Amino acid sequence: MNANLSGATAIAGVGYRQYKRGTAPLPERGVLVRAIVDACEDAGFDPADVDGFVSYGDDHNEPVRLMPDLGTKELTWSGMVWGGGGGGIAGAFGLAAAAILTGQATAVVIFRALVEGNSGRLSAAVMAHHLNDHMVGAGMVAPAQVCAMRAERLFDYHGVPRSVCEELVRASYHHAARNPDAVAHGKELDVNDFRTARWIAEPFRLFDCSRENDGAGALLMVSTERARDLKKPPVKLLGVAQGTEKGWGDLLENDDADLYATAGFRPIARRLWEQTGLTPADIDVVQLYENFSAQGVASLIDHGFCTYDNVAEVVKFDNLIAPTGKRPLNTSGGNFAHGFVHGIGLAVEAVRCLRGESANPVPGARTCLLAGGPGAPTVSSAVFGRD
Amino acid sequence: MGPRLMAQTVTGPLGAEGRYWDALVLGHLELPRCVGCGRWHWPAVWRCGDCGAWEHEWQPRRLAGEVFAWTRTWHPFAGAEGLEKPFVTVLVTLSDAPIRLIGVVEGEAVDLRIGAGVIGRIDRTRFGDAAIPAIRWSLAS
Repeated sequence: MNANLSGATAIAGVGYRQYKRGTAPLPERGVLVRAIVDACEDAGFDPADVDGFVSYGDDHNEPVRLMPDLGTKELTWSGMVWGGGGGGIAGAFGLAAAAILTGQATAVVIFRALVEGNSGRLSAAVMAHHLNDHMVGAGMVAPAQVCAMRAERLFDYHGVPRSVCEELVRASYHHAARNPDAVAHGKELDVNDFRTARWIAEPFRLFDCSRENDGAGALLMVSTERARDLKKPPVKLLGVAQGTEKGWGDLLENDDADLYATAGFRPIARRLWEQTGLTPADIDVVQLYENFSAQGVASLIDHGFCTYDNVAEVVKFDNLIAPTGKRPLNTSGGNFAHGFVHGIGLAVEAVRCLRGESANPVPGARTCLLAGGPGAPTVSSAVFGRD
Repeated sequence: MGPRLMAQTVTGPLGAEGRYWDALVLGHLELPRCVGCGRWHWPAVWRCGDCGAWEHEWQPRRLAGEVFAWTRTWHPFAGAEGLEKPFVTVLVTLSDAPIRLIGVVEGEAVDLRIGAGVIGRIDRTRFGDAAIPAIRWSLAS
Protein backbone atom coordinates (compact mmCIF):
# COMPACT_ATOMS: atom_id res chain seq x y z
CA MET A 1 0.00 0.00 0.00
CA ASN A 2 1.36 3.35 -0.99
CA ALA A 3 -0.58 5.84 1.10
CA ASN A 4 1.33 8.77 -0.37
CA LEU A 5 0.12 8.05 -3.86
CA SER A 6 -3.38 6.83 -3.29
CA GLY A 7 -5.72 9.66 -4.15
CA ALA A 8 -3.35 12.48 -3.20
CA THR A 9 -3.15 13.81 -6.76
CA ALA A 10 -6.00 14.31 -9.19
CA ILE A 11 -6.82 15.23 -12.75
CA ALA A 12 -8.51 18.61 -12.71
CA GLY A 13 -8.91 19.28 -16.41
CA VAL A 14 -8.81 17.51 -19.77
CA GLY A 15 -8.47 18.64 -23.36
CA TYR A 16 -8.56 16.58 -26.52
CA ARG A 17 -8.48 17.61 -30.16
CA GLN A 18 -8.69 14.94 -32.83
CA TYR A 19 -8.67 15.14 -36.63
CA LYS A 20 -8.61 12.74 -39.53
CA ARG A 21 -5.04 11.70 -40.21
CA GLY A 22 -3.28 14.34 -42.30
CA THR A 23 -5.94 17.03 -41.75
CA ALA A 24 -4.95 18.87 -38.55
CA PRO A 25 -5.59 22.61 -38.99
CA LEU A 26 -2.30 23.51 -37.28
CA PRO A 27 1.16 21.99 -37.05
CA GLU A 28 1.67 19.57 -34.17
CA ARG A 29 2.77 22.01 -31.50
CA GLY A 30 -0.10 24.33 -32.32
CA VAL A 31 -2.62 21.53 -31.84
CA LEU A 32 -0.94 20.59 -28.58
CA VAL A 33 -1.06 24.16 -27.21
CA ARG A 34 -4.78 24.24 -28.06
CA ALA A 35 -5.37 20.97 -26.16
CA ILE A 36 -3.40 22.15 -23.11
CA VAL A 37 -5.36 25.40 -22.94
CA ASP A 38 -8.57 23.37 -23.32
CA ALA A 39 -7.52 21.29 -20.31
CA CYS A 40 -6.77 24.40 -18.26
CA GLU A 41 -10.08 26.04 -19.23
CA ASP A 42 -11.87 22.81 -18.30
CA ALA A 43 -10.35 23.14 -14.83
CA GLY A 44 -10.60 26.91 -14.55
CA PHE A 45 -6.82 27.13 -14.22
CA ASP A 46 -4.39 29.70 -15.67
CA PRO A 47 -2.14 27.93 -18.24
CA ALA A 48 0.73 30.19 -17.13
CA ASP A 49 0.71 28.43 -13.74
CA VAL A 50 1.44 24.99 -15.21
CA ASP A 51 5.01 24.25 -14.10
CA GLY A 52 5.50 20.65 -15.22
CA PHE A 53 5.04 18.55 -18.35
CA VAL A 54 5.20 14.81 -18.90
CA SER A 55 4.81 12.65 -21.97
CA TYR A 56 5.60 9.18 -23.36
CA GLY A 57 6.13 7.32 -26.62
CA ASP A 58 8.93 9.50 -27.99
CA ASP A 59 6.73 12.61 -28.21
CA HIS A 60 8.58 15.34 -30.13
CA ASN A 61 7.32 18.39 -28.24
CA GLU A 62 9.93 19.50 -25.77
CA PRO A 63 8.09 21.27 -22.94
CA VAL A 64 10.36 24.32 -22.96
CA ARG A 65 9.06 25.13 -26.45
CA LEU A 66 5.50 25.35 -25.12
CA MET A 67 6.37 28.12 -22.68
CA PRO A 68 5.93 31.18 -24.95
CA ASP A 69 2.41 30.17 -26.00
CA LEU A 70 1.29 29.18 -22.52
CA GLY A 71 2.92 32.11 -20.75
CA THR A 72 4.66 29.64 -18.44
CA LYS A 73 6.22 31.52 -15.55
CA GLU A 74 8.72 28.86 -14.58
CA LEU A 75 9.21 25.30 -15.75
CA THR A 76 10.22 23.12 -12.81
CA TRP A 77 9.65 19.58 -14.07
CA SER A 78 9.73 17.75 -17.37
CA GLY A 79 10.00 14.06 -18.02
CA MET A 80 9.06 11.26 -20.33
CA VAL A 81 8.49 7.55 -19.90
CA TRP A 82 10.89 5.58 -22.10
CA GLY A 83 9.68 3.48 -24.99
CA GLY A 84 8.49 4.07 -28.53
CA GLY A 85 5.00 2.61 -28.17
CA GLY A 86 2.08 3.44 -25.95
CA GLY A 87 3.31 1.28 -23.09
CA GLY A 88 4.30 4.31 -21.03
CA ILE A 89 1.01 6.22 -21.14
CA ALA A 90 -0.16 5.39 -17.62
CA GLY A 91 3.36 5.65 -16.26
CA ALA A 92 3.34 9.29 -17.35
CA PHE A 93 0.72 9.93 -14.65
CA GLY A 94 3.09 8.35 -12.14
CA LEU A 95 5.87 10.74 -13.19
CA ALA A 96 3.52 13.69 -12.79
CA ALA A 97 2.31 12.52 -9.38
CA ALA A 98 5.90 11.91 -8.24
CA ALA A 99 6.75 15.51 -9.07
CA ILE A 100 3.73 16.94 -7.25
CA LEU A 101 4.05 14.71 -4.17
CA THR A 102 7.74 15.56 -3.75
CA GLY A 103 7.21 19.28 -4.26
CA GLN A 104 9.16 19.43 -7.50
CA ALA A 105 6.16 20.77 -9.39
CA THR A 106 2.66 21.93 -8.48
CA ALA A 107 0.65 21.63 -11.70
CA VAL A 108 1.70 19.09 -14.32
CA VAL A 109 0.26 18.53 -17.77
CA ILE A 110 0.41 14.99 -19.12
CA PHE A 111 0.23 15.19 -22.92
CA ARG A 112 0.72 13.44 -26.24
CA ALA A 113 0.53 15.09 -29.65
CA LEU A 114 0.72 13.56 -33.07
CA VAL A 115 0.29 15.27 -36.40
CA GLU A 116 1.38 13.24 -39.38
CA GLY A 117 2.79 16.17 -41.30
CA ASN A 118 5.24 16.77 -38.43
CA SER A 119 5.91 13.36 -36.94
CA GLY A 120 5.08 11.01 -39.82
CA ARG A 121 3.06 7.83 -39.42
CA LEU A 122 2.93 6.63 -35.83
CA SER A 123 3.36 2.98 -36.79
CA ALA A 124 6.57 3.90 -38.62
CA ALA A 125 7.82 5.96 -35.68
CA VAL A 126 7.14 3.18 -33.19
CA MET A 127 8.87 0.66 -35.38
CA ALA A 128 11.83 2.95 -36.04
CA HIS A 129 12.34 2.88 -32.27
CA HIS A 130 12.58 -0.91 -32.39
CA LEU A 131 13.96 -1.66 -35.86
CA ASN A 132 17.03 -3.83 -36.12
CA ASP A 133 18.57 -6.02 -38.79
CA HIS A 134 17.25 -9.21 -37.17
CA MET A 135 13.64 -8.10 -37.57
CA VAL A 136 14.03 -6.32 -40.91
CA GLY A 137 15.76 -9.36 -42.37
CA ALA A 138 12.67 -11.39 -41.45
CA GLY A 139 10.33 -8.83 -43.01
CA MET A 140 9.16 -7.64 -39.58
CA VAL A 141 8.84 -3.89 -40.04
CA ALA A 142 5.57 -2.97 -38.31
CA PRO A 143 4.09 -3.38 -34.82
CA ALA A 144 1.12 -5.24 -36.38
CA GLN A 145 3.38 -8.11 -37.46
CA VAL A 146 5.08 -8.54 -34.08
CA CYS A 147 1.71 -8.49 -32.31
CA ALA A 148 0.26 -10.86 -34.92
CA MET A 149 2.84 -13.54 -34.14
CA ARG A 150 2.09 -13.27 -30.45
CA ALA A 151 -1.65 -13.37 -31.17
CA GLU A 152 -1.24 -16.56 -33.16
CA ARG A 153 0.45 -18.15 -30.16
CA LEU A 154 -2.26 -16.80 -27.81
CA PHE A 155 -4.94 -18.47 -29.92
CA ASP A 156 -3.27 -21.62 -31.14
CA TYR A 157 -1.07 -22.60 -28.18
CA HIS A 158 -2.85 -21.04 -25.18
CA GLY A 159 -6.31 -21.84 -26.52
CA VAL A 160 -7.88 -18.37 -26.36
CA PRO A 161 -10.82 -18.45 -28.80
CA ARG A 162 -10.35 -16.13 -31.77
CA SER A 163 -13.98 -15.03 -31.40
CA VAL A 164 -13.25 -12.92 -28.29
CA CYS A 165 -11.49 -10.36 -30.49
CA GLU A 166 -14.70 -9.81 -32.39
CA GLU A 167 -16.56 -9.19 -29.12
CA LEU A 168 -13.99 -6.58 -28.08
CA VAL A 169 -13.99 -4.77 -31.42
CA ARG A 170 -17.81 -4.77 -31.63
CA ALA A 171 -18.05 -3.17 -28.18
CA SER A 172 -15.68 -0.38 -29.21
CA TYR A 173 -17.65 0.33 -32.38
CA HIS A 174 -20.93 0.20 -30.47
CA HIS A 175 -19.69 2.99 -28.20
CA ALA A 176 -18.16 4.99 -31.04
CA ALA A 177 -21.40 4.86 -32.99
CA ARG A 178 -22.97 6.79 -30.07
CA ASN A 179 -20.06 9.23 -29.58
CA PRO A 180 -20.29 12.35 -31.78
CA ASP A 181 -16.51 12.87 -31.44
CA ALA A 182 -15.63 9.41 -32.72
CA VAL A 183 -14.27 8.58 -36.13
CA ALA A 184 -16.83 5.79 -36.37
CA HIS A 185 -19.76 7.91 -35.09
CA GLY A 186 -23.07 6.74 -36.48
CA LYS A 187 -21.59 3.54 -37.90
CA GLU A 188 -22.19 0.15 -36.29
CA LEU A 189 -19.57 -2.43 -37.20
CA ASP A 190 -20.94 -4.90 -39.72
CA VAL A 191 -19.81 -8.27 -38.38
CA ASN A 192 -19.50 -9.62 -41.87
CA ASP A 193 -17.20 -6.73 -42.80
CA PHE A 194 -15.09 -7.53 -39.74
CA ARG A 195 -14.81 -11.20 -40.69
CA THR A 196 -14.01 -10.64 -44.35
CA ALA A 197 -11.91 -7.46 -44.23
CA ARG A 198 -8.54 -7.64 -45.90
CA TRP A 199 -5.71 -9.35 -44.10
CA ILE A 200 -3.02 -7.16 -42.58
CA ALA A 201 -0.84 -9.80 -40.91
CA GLU A 202 -2.54 -13.07 -39.96
CA PRO A 203 -4.44 -13.46 -37.68
CA PHE A 204 -5.23 -9.73 -37.94
CA ARG A 205 -7.62 -8.30 -40.48
CA LEU A 206 -8.19 -4.57 -40.96
CA PHE A 207 -10.61 -4.02 -38.05
CA ASP A 208 -8.34 -5.83 -35.58
CA CYS A 209 -5.98 -2.85 -35.88
CA SER A 210 -6.16 0.60 -34.27
CA ARG A 211 -6.45 3.70 -36.37
CA GLU A 212 -4.13 6.67 -36.59
CA ASN A 213 -5.35 10.22 -36.19
CA ASP A 214 -3.91 13.68 -35.97
CA GLY A 215 -4.48 15.38 -32.67
CA ALA A 216 -3.38 16.07 -29.14
CA GLY A 217 -4.60 15.31 -25.66
CA ALA A 218 -3.69 16.99 -22.38
CA LEU A 219 -4.62 16.31 -18.76
CA LEU A 220 -3.90 18.73 -15.93
CA MET A 221 -2.80 17.13 -12.65
CA VAL A 222 -2.61 18.97 -9.32
CA SER A 223 -2.83 17.89 -5.71
CA THR A 224 -6.31 16.62 -4.85
CA GLU A 225 -6.57 19.31 -2.23
CA ARG A 226 -5.97 22.02 -4.83
CA ALA A 227 -8.26 20.29 -7.34
CA ARG A 228 -11.18 20.65 -4.94
CA ASP A 229 -11.04 24.44 -5.45
CA LEU A 230 -11.22 24.15 -9.24
CA LYS A 231 -14.21 23.93 -11.57
CA LYS A 232 -14.67 20.18 -12.04
CA PRO A 233 -14.82 17.37 -9.48
CA PRO A 234 -11.35 15.85 -9.00
CA VAL A 235 -10.61 12.49 -10.58
CA LYS A 236 -8.03 11.01 -8.25
CA LEU A 237 -5.05 8.90 -9.22
CA LEU A 238 -5.44 5.92 -6.90
CA GLY A 239 -2.46 3.94 -8.13
CA VAL A 240 -0.03 3.55 -11.00
CA ALA A 241 2.68 1.09 -11.99
CA GLN A 242 5.11 0.90 -14.88
CA GLY A 243 7.96 -1.38 -15.84
CA THR A 244 9.04 -4.78 -17.04
CA GLU A 245 9.83 -8.11 -15.41
CA LYS A 246 12.80 -10.34 -16.19
CA GLY A 247 11.96 -12.45 -19.21
CA TRP A 248 9.98 -9.69 -20.94
CA GLY A 249 11.21 -6.72 -22.92
CA ASP A 250 13.11 -5.84 -26.05
CA LEU A 251 14.53 -9.35 -26.48
CA LEU A 252 14.41 -10.23 -30.20
CA GLU A 253 11.26 -12.28 -29.50
CA ASN A 254 13.07 -14.29 -26.83
CA ASP A 255 10.64 -13.43 -24.05
CA ASP A 256 10.02 -16.28 -21.62
CA ALA A 257 7.79 -18.89 -23.24
CA ASP A 258 4.95 -18.40 -20.77
CA LEU A 259 5.12 -14.60 -21.13
CA TYR A 260 5.47 -14.39 -24.92
CA ALA A 261 1.73 -14.30 -25.68
CA THR A 262 0.88 -12.02 -22.75
CA ALA A 263 0.72 -8.24 -23.01
CA GLY A 264 3.50 -7.79 -20.42
CA PHE A 265 1.26 -6.58 -17.57
CA ARG A 266 1.58 -9.38 -15.02
CA PRO A 267 4.02 -7.45 -12.78
CA ILE A 268 2.18 -4.18 -13.41
CA ALA A 269 -1.16 -5.64 -12.34
CA ARG A 270 0.38 -7.27 -9.28
CA ARG A 271 1.88 -3.98 -8.09
CA LEU A 272 -1.20 -1.96 -9.02
CA TRP A 273 -3.53 -4.17 -6.98
CA GLU A 274 -1.07 -4.32 -4.07
CA GLN A 275 -0.63 -0.57 -4.11
CA THR A 276 -4.32 0.34 -4.21
CA GLY A 277 -5.74 -2.52 -2.16
CA LEU A 278 -8.20 -3.03 -5.01
CA THR A 279 -8.90 -6.11 -7.12
CA PRO A 280 -10.24 -6.43 -10.66
CA ALA A 281 -13.71 -6.91 -9.15
CA ASP A 282 -13.51 -3.35 -7.74
CA ILE A 283 -13.07 -1.78 -11.18
CA ASP A 284 -16.28 -0.28 -12.60
CA VAL A 285 -15.08 0.65 -16.08
CA VAL A 286 -11.95 -0.02 -18.15
CA GLN A 287 -10.23 2.18 -20.70
CA LEU A 288 -8.18 -0.45 -22.48
CA TYR A 289 -5.38 0.49 -24.84
CA GLU A 290 -5.85 -1.77 -27.84
CA ASN A 291 -3.26 -1.40 -30.56
CA PHE A 292 -4.52 -4.73 -31.86
CA SER A 293 -7.49 -6.83 -30.79
CA ALA A 294 -5.58 -9.80 -29.41
CA GLN A 295 -3.27 -7.59 -27.35
CA GLY A 296 -6.31 -5.93 -25.79
CA VAL A 297 -7.61 -9.35 -24.80
CA ALA A 298 -4.20 -10.38 -23.47
CA SER A 299 -4.11 -7.18 -21.39
CA LEU A 300 -7.47 -8.03 -19.79
CA ILE A 301 -6.11 -11.49 -18.94
CA ASP A 302 -2.88 -10.03 -17.51
CA HIS A 303 -4.83 -7.62 -15.31
CA GLY A 304 -6.81 -10.50 -13.83
CA PHE A 305 -10.25 -9.85 -15.33
CA CYS A 306 -10.25 -13.32 -16.84
CA THR A 307 -7.99 -16.28 -17.62
CA TYR A 308 -7.03 -18.26 -20.70
CA ASP A 309 -9.75 -20.70 -19.67
CA ASN A 310 -12.71 -18.38 -19.01
CA VAL A 311 -11.91 -15.46 -21.33
CA ALA A 312 -14.86 -16.26 -23.61
CA GLU A 313 -17.30 -15.99 -20.69
CA VAL A 314 -15.99 -12.56 -19.69
CA VAL A 315 -14.99 -10.83 -22.92
CA LYS A 316 -18.53 -10.79 -24.34
CA PHE A 317 -20.17 -7.87 -26.11
CA ASP A 318 -23.03 -7.71 -23.60
CA ASN A 319 -20.59 -7.49 -20.68
CA LEU A 320 -18.51 -4.74 -22.29
CA ILE A 321 -21.06 -2.11 -23.27
CA ALA A 322 -22.41 0.84 -21.30
CA PRO A 323 -24.67 1.32 -19.48
CA THR A 324 -25.86 -2.26 -18.97
CA GLY A 325 -22.68 -4.34 -19.21
CA LYS A 326 -21.07 -5.88 -16.15
CA ARG A 327 -17.86 -3.95 -16.80
CA PRO A 328 -18.07 -1.51 -19.70
CA LEU A 329 -14.93 -0.96 -21.67
CA ASN A 330 -13.69 1.78 -24.01
CA THR A 331 -16.77 3.92 -23.60
CA SER A 332 -15.61 6.48 -26.19
CA GLY A 333 -14.94 3.82 -28.82
CA GLY A 334 -11.28 3.41 -27.90
CA ASN A 335 -8.33 3.34 -30.26
CA PHE A 336 -10.27 1.20 -32.73
CA ALA A 337 -13.27 3.42 -33.26
CA HIS A 338 -13.03 6.72 -31.37
CA GLY A 339 -9.63 7.52 -32.80
CA PHE A 340 -5.99 7.08 -32.00
CA VAL A 341 -3.59 9.77 -30.87
CA HIS A 342 -1.24 7.26 -29.31
CA GLY A 343 -3.85 6.35 -26.72
CA ILE A 344 -4.13 9.70 -24.93
CA GLY A 345 -7.83 9.76 -25.79
CA LEU A 346 -8.30 6.77 -23.48
CA ALA A 347 -6.88 8.70 -20.52
CA VAL A 348 -9.16 11.65 -21.31
CA GLU A 349 -12.12 9.26 -21.50
CA ALA A 350 -11.19 7.72 -18.14
CA VAL A 351 -11.64 11.15 -16.56
CA ARG A 352 -14.79 12.05 -18.50
CA CYS A 353 -16.35 8.71 -17.68
CA LEU A 354 -15.78 9.12 -13.94
CA ARG A 355 -17.20 12.67 -14.10
CA GLY A 356 -20.32 11.40 -15.86
CA GLU A 357 -19.40 13.28 -19.05
CA SER A 358 -18.94 10.28 -21.35
CA ALA A 359 -21.05 9.92 -24.48
CA ASN A 360 -21.73 6.43 -23.13
CA PRO A 361 -22.21 7.01 -19.40
CA VAL A 362 -21.56 4.28 -16.86
CA PRO A 363 -24.00 5.13 -14.06
CA GLY A 364 -22.37 5.33 -10.65
CA ALA A 365 -18.85 4.47 -11.88
CA ARG A 366 -16.34 5.18 -9.10
CA THR A 367 -13.19 3.47 -10.39
CA CYS A 368 -11.62 3.25 -13.82
CA LEU A 369 -8.59 1.27 -14.95
CA LEU A 370 -6.42 2.84 -17.63
CA ALA A 371 -4.47 -0.07 -19.13
CA GLY A 372 -1.54 1.19 -21.19
CA GLY A 373 -0.19 0.04 -24.53
CA PRO A 374 -0.03 -3.78 -24.46
CA GLY A 375 2.89 -5.81 -25.73
CA ALA A 376 5.36 -2.94 -25.44
CA PRO A 377 8.70 -3.65 -23.74
CA THR A 378 7.83 -1.16 -20.98
CA VAL A 379 4.16 -1.18 -20.00
CA SER A 380 2.09 0.66 -17.42
CA SER A 381 -1.41 0.96 -15.97
CA ALA A 382 -3.22 3.26 -13.59
CA VAL A 383 -6.42 3.34 -11.56
CA PHE A 384 -8.46 6.52 -11.27
CA GLY A 385 -11.33 7.10 -8.85
CA ARG A 386 -14.07 9.47 -7.75
CA ASP A 387 -14.84 10.52 -4.20
CA MET B 1 38.50 -11.85 -27.72
CA GLY B 2 37.91 -13.06 -31.27
CA PRO B 3 39.10 -11.45 -34.46
CA ARG B 4 38.16 -7.88 -35.20
CA LEU B 5 34.52 -7.74 -36.23
CA MET B 6 33.44 -6.91 -39.76
CA ALA B 7 29.80 -6.42 -38.96
CA GLN B 8 27.93 -3.17 -39.60
CA THR B 9 24.19 -3.00 -39.12
CA VAL B 10 21.88 -1.32 -41.59
CA THR B 11 19.11 -0.47 -39.10
CA GLY B 12 19.44 0.17 -35.40
CA PRO B 13 22.68 0.11 -33.44
CA LEU B 14 24.97 -2.90 -33.37
CA GLY B 15 24.81 -4.49 -29.94
CA ALA B 16 27.00 -7.30 -28.62
CA GLU B 17 26.08 -9.57 -31.53
CA GLY B 18 28.69 -8.53 -34.09
CA ARG B 19 30.12 -12.04 -34.22
CA TYR B 20 26.67 -13.38 -35.19
CA TRP B 21 26.59 -11.22 -38.32
CA ASP B 22 30.17 -12.06 -39.22
CA ALA B 23 29.37 -15.79 -38.98
CA LEU B 24 26.24 -15.44 -41.11
CA VAL B 25 28.24 -13.67 -43.79
CA LEU B 26 30.70 -16.57 -43.70
CA GLY B 27 27.80 -18.99 -44.11
CA HIS B 28 27.14 -20.44 -40.68
CA LEU B 29 25.33 -19.78 -37.41
CA GLU B 30 27.23 -18.94 -34.22
CA LEU B 31 25.64 -18.02 -30.90
CA PRO B 32 27.07 -16.83 -27.57
CA ARG B 33 27.31 -18.91 -24.43
CA CYS B 34 28.55 -17.54 -21.10
CA VAL B 35 31.92 -18.95 -20.12
CA GLY B 36 31.09 -18.41 -16.45
CA CYS B 37 27.76 -20.20 -16.06
CA GLY B 38 27.08 -21.83 -19.42
CA ARG B 39 23.92 -19.84 -20.06
CA TRP B 40 23.01 -19.01 -23.67
CA HIS B 41 22.19 -15.34 -24.19
CA TRP B 42 20.02 -13.92 -26.95
CA PRO B 43 20.02 -11.04 -27.57
CA ALA B 44 23.79 -11.17 -27.11
CA VAL B 45 25.16 -9.41 -24.03
CA TRP B 46 28.54 -8.01 -23.06
CA ARG B 47 28.08 -9.06 -19.44
CA CYS B 48 26.18 -12.10 -18.20
CA GLY B 49 23.41 -10.67 -16.03
CA ASP B 50 23.12 -13.99 -14.23
CA CYS B 51 26.72 -14.69 -13.13
CA GLY B 52 28.51 -11.44 -13.91
CA ALA B 53 31.05 -12.94 -16.32
CA TRP B 54 32.24 -10.81 -19.23
CA GLU B 55 33.40 -13.58 -21.52
CA HIS B 56 31.23 -15.44 -23.99
CA GLU B 57 32.19 -18.29 -26.25
CA TRP B 58 30.60 -18.20 -29.69
CA GLN B 59 29.61 -21.73 -30.66
CA PRO B 60 28.45 -23.07 -34.03
CA ARG B 61 24.81 -24.18 -33.94
CA ARG B 62 22.65 -25.99 -36.48
CA LEU B 63 19.99 -24.12 -38.42
CA ALA B 64 17.24 -26.46 -37.32
CA GLY B 65 14.39 -26.16 -34.87
CA GLU B 66 10.66 -25.95 -34.44
CA VAL B 67 8.08 -23.22 -35.02
CA PHE B 68 7.24 -21.24 -31.88
CA ALA B 69 5.01 -18.64 -33.59
CA TRP B 70 4.30 -17.34 -37.08
CA THR B 71 2.44 -14.74 -39.12
CA ARG B 72 1.65 -14.26 -42.78
CA THR B 73 2.06 -10.65 -43.89
CA TRP B 74 -0.29 -9.34 -46.58
CA HIS B 75 -0.17 -5.56 -46.08
CA PRO B 76 2.54 -3.76 -48.08
CA PHE B 77 4.34 -2.30 -45.07
CA ALA B 78 7.09 0.20 -45.84
CA GLY B 79 10.44 -1.52 -45.38
CA ALA B 80 9.34 -4.97 -46.56
CA GLU B 81 9.51 -4.18 -50.28
CA GLY B 82 12.26 -6.77 -50.70
CA LEU B 83 9.81 -9.62 -49.95
CA GLU B 84 6.97 -10.68 -52.21
CA LYS B 85 3.56 -10.50 -50.45
CA PRO B 86 2.17 -12.45 -48.83
CA PHE B 87 5.13 -13.89 -47.01
CA VAL B 88 5.33 -15.98 -43.87
CA THR B 89 7.63 -15.13 -40.96
CA VAL B 90 8.42 -17.74 -38.33
CA LEU B 91 9.94 -17.58 -34.91
CA VAL B 92 11.97 -20.76 -34.47
CA THR B 93 13.19 -22.41 -31.27
CA LEU B 94 16.55 -23.91 -32.16
CA SER B 95 17.08 -27.65 -31.62
CA ASP B 96 20.48 -27.29 -29.98
CA ALA B 97 20.28 -24.05 -28.00
CA PRO B 98 17.48 -22.44 -25.94
CA ILE B 99 17.30 -19.52 -28.33
CA ARG B 100 14.64 -18.33 -30.80
CA LEU B 101 15.58 -16.88 -34.17
CA ILE B 102 13.28 -15.21 -36.66
CA GLY B 103 13.17 -15.54 -40.42
CA VAL B 104 11.08 -15.76 -43.57
CA VAL B 105 9.71 -19.10 -44.76
CA GLU B 106 10.50 -20.26 -48.27
CA GLY B 107 8.66 -23.00 -50.11
CA GLU B 108 5.38 -24.61 -49.11
CA ALA B 109 3.86 -23.21 -45.89
CA VAL B 110 0.35 -24.70 -45.98
CA ASP B 111 1.16 -27.22 -43.25
CA LEU B 112 2.93 -24.65 -41.12
CA ARG B 113 1.86 -24.78 -37.47
CA ILE B 114 3.33 -24.21 -34.03
CA GLY B 115 5.64 -27.13 -33.25
CA ALA B 116 6.42 -27.97 -36.90
CA GLY B 117 10.06 -28.87 -37.64
CA VAL B 118 12.01 -26.46 -39.84
CA ILE B 119 15.50 -26.22 -41.27
CA GLY B 120 17.27 -23.05 -42.27
CA ARG B 121 19.73 -21.63 -44.72
CA ILE B 122 21.39 -18.25 -44.93
CA ASP B 123 20.33 -15.75 -47.55
CA ARG B 124 19.98 -11.99 -47.79
CA THR B 125 16.95 -9.71 -47.46
CA ARG B 126 16.96 -6.59 -49.59
CA PHE B 127 16.29 -3.41 -47.59
CA GLY B 128 16.70 -0.27 -49.64
CA ASP B 129 20.17 -0.47 -51.14
CA ALA B 130 21.36 -2.92 -48.49
CA ALA B 131 21.23 -6.71 -48.38
CA ILE B 132 20.86 -7.86 -44.78
CA PRO B 133 22.10 -11.38 -43.93
CA ALA B 134 19.00 -13.36 -42.97
CA ILE B 135 17.83 -16.88 -42.30
CA ARG B 136 15.31 -18.57 -44.60
CA TRP B 137 13.35 -21.40 -43.04
CA SER B 138 11.55 -24.27 -44.72
CA LEU B 139 9.40 -27.07 -43.36
CA ALA B 140 11.47 -30.16 -42.63
CA SER B 141 10.29 -33.10 -44.70
